[in-house]
Amino acid sequence: MSAEATAASAANGHAAALAVEGLVAGYGGVTALDGVTVTAHASGITAVLGANGAGKTTLLRAVSGMVKPRRGRVLLAGHDVAGQSPERIVRAGIAHVPEGQGVIPELTVEENLRVGMMSWRGKQSARAAAMEEEYERFKPLAERRRKLASTLSGGERQMLVIARALLARPRVLLLDEPSLGLAPRVMAQVMDLVVRLSREHGLTIVLVEQNARAALAIADHGVVLNLGRVVASADAATLASDVALRHHYLGF
Amino acid sequence: MVEFLQFTLSGVVFGMIYAAIALSLVLIWRGTRLLNFAQGGMAMLTTYVAIEVIYHTHSYWAGFVVALVAGLVLGAASELTVIRPTAGRPELNSVIVTIGLLILIEGLAGIFFGAQYRSFPAAFSVTGLKVGGTPLGVSRFDVFTAAAVLATTLILAATFRYTSAGLRMRAAAFNATIARLSGIRVARVLTVGWALAGLLGALAGVLVSPSTFLYPNSMDAIFVLGFTAAVIGGLDSPTGAVVGGLLLGIGLNYVAGYWNSNLTSLVALGILVAVLMIRPNGLFASARMRRV
Repeated sequence: MSAEATAASAANGHAAALAVEGLVAGYGGVTALDGVTVTAHASGITAVLGANGAGKTTLLRAVSGMVKPRRGRVLLAGHDVAGQSPERIVRAGIAHVPEGQGVIPELTVEENLRVGMMSWRGKQSARAAAMEEEYERFKPLAERRRKLASTLSGGERQMLVIARALLARPRVLLLDEPSLGLAPRVMAQVMDLVVRLSREHGLTIVLVEQNARAALAIADHGVVLNLGRVVASADAATLASDVALRHHYLGF
Repeated sequence: MVEFLQFTLSGVVFGMIYAAIALSLVLIWRGTRLLNFAQGGMAMLTTYVAIEVIYHTHSYWAGFVVALVAGLVLGAASELTVIRPTAGRPELNSVIVTIGLLILIEGLAGIFFGAQYRSFPAAFSVTGLKVGGTPLGVSRFDVFTAAAVLATTLILAATFRYTSAGLRMRAAAFNATIARLSGIRVARVLTVGWALAGLLGALAGVLVSPSTFLYPNSMDAIFVLGFTAAVIGGLDSPTGAVVGGLLLGIGLNYVAGYWNSNLTSLVALGILVAVLMIRPNGLFASARMRRV
């Protein structure tokens, strides 16, 4: 499937910004990923779907270096970063927004954002400008910059973690369940933002979602995982219209 | 009334020493959730280094500075050599490693420096200060002791609060996963934390030894009191460590002054047990609950 996907993407004129090839990873004796191959096209949204325990979160953790893969490659623009530390991988251009609890509540909003810039060196003015850019994008954060992050609402927290990830200046953004626990209206805002980041800013996005319907509505491409293996990989529209697949793996 | 003033002032001085040990424990606890039982032993060793330097150079300040540097180096070296290999293993492993490190350090000190009590010089006069003929119960050296710990604490607090390196340390302590994903080299931050803890311990060792003598076990009792101070403050809070140290120092001085000086260790133990039973998170535990 990897060869086909690569060929297809080449035919479409898309480059693979992130290519995961035959990734095997796990915890102790448990194999959570068993030979997973996923290609994320540049400036596109790739949805990773599947039930609980399918290996979605482990896939993101293996890509960002939080879990060391046992086998396989993680190619970022053709360069293998598999097995490197998270500190190095974020410098290479992959930012990972983990599920839930992404803000550091004991720090202020501004300190949380400054943490996002720890992966690059730059003049004070460049850093201030980068931060202002995020305050411009997320106005509610600008009003609360001196407040502790623990005082933010669920939606504002999600804005803060995404803003912090963007401040690392990534090429690829890994989002783990960004809509988890948010009210429907706020969730729609977050999804809108994800679309804008890919369309307007050219970010390559890998979106892990429990809510398959919402994810496929904004994604270009979808990958379905089951028990650590890829069981389907196709256009988002194709996946959304595959009734048998939806019933079997996605529950809608 | 004069007695009360004397007990309070000298209590503050002892309290600042407990605070220094407590702070060194908090620095490591925040980063690794590990209680460093070797902290007192490390402070004893650096104080022996100071005494040797003073003996050979005849300069107190040379010994003072070398002890602090030795504390930094010993802290960082301990983290790199014996603590790091226990990362990712059950927590009990690293606790036992610190106890082993304590036994090793005290054994080595016994072999190289001998078990006899040695007197350690003070930087300034140890005769009591007087105001208008009223003795204050503290000496010029006591004032230096309190000021030195206070200055070190304020410098550390300002570094944590206002610098980029301080933010890295706080982020790593609060959430190591987010810190790593943001590009902070958490392992390096931990080494720096151990180095700073070593420095604080070394400072406490040099400041307390003029009143306790120096021998391989001389810091054991101070360590227990520093630990008690840290527990009073909540182990997690630098402010709590300082306040805990002061409360303990002053409280124990009242016990010794008004009641019986043989009872201080027992009372300290009582306080430790009481805090752990009634308020195990310490007086300064923040109200927040972490969502898991």
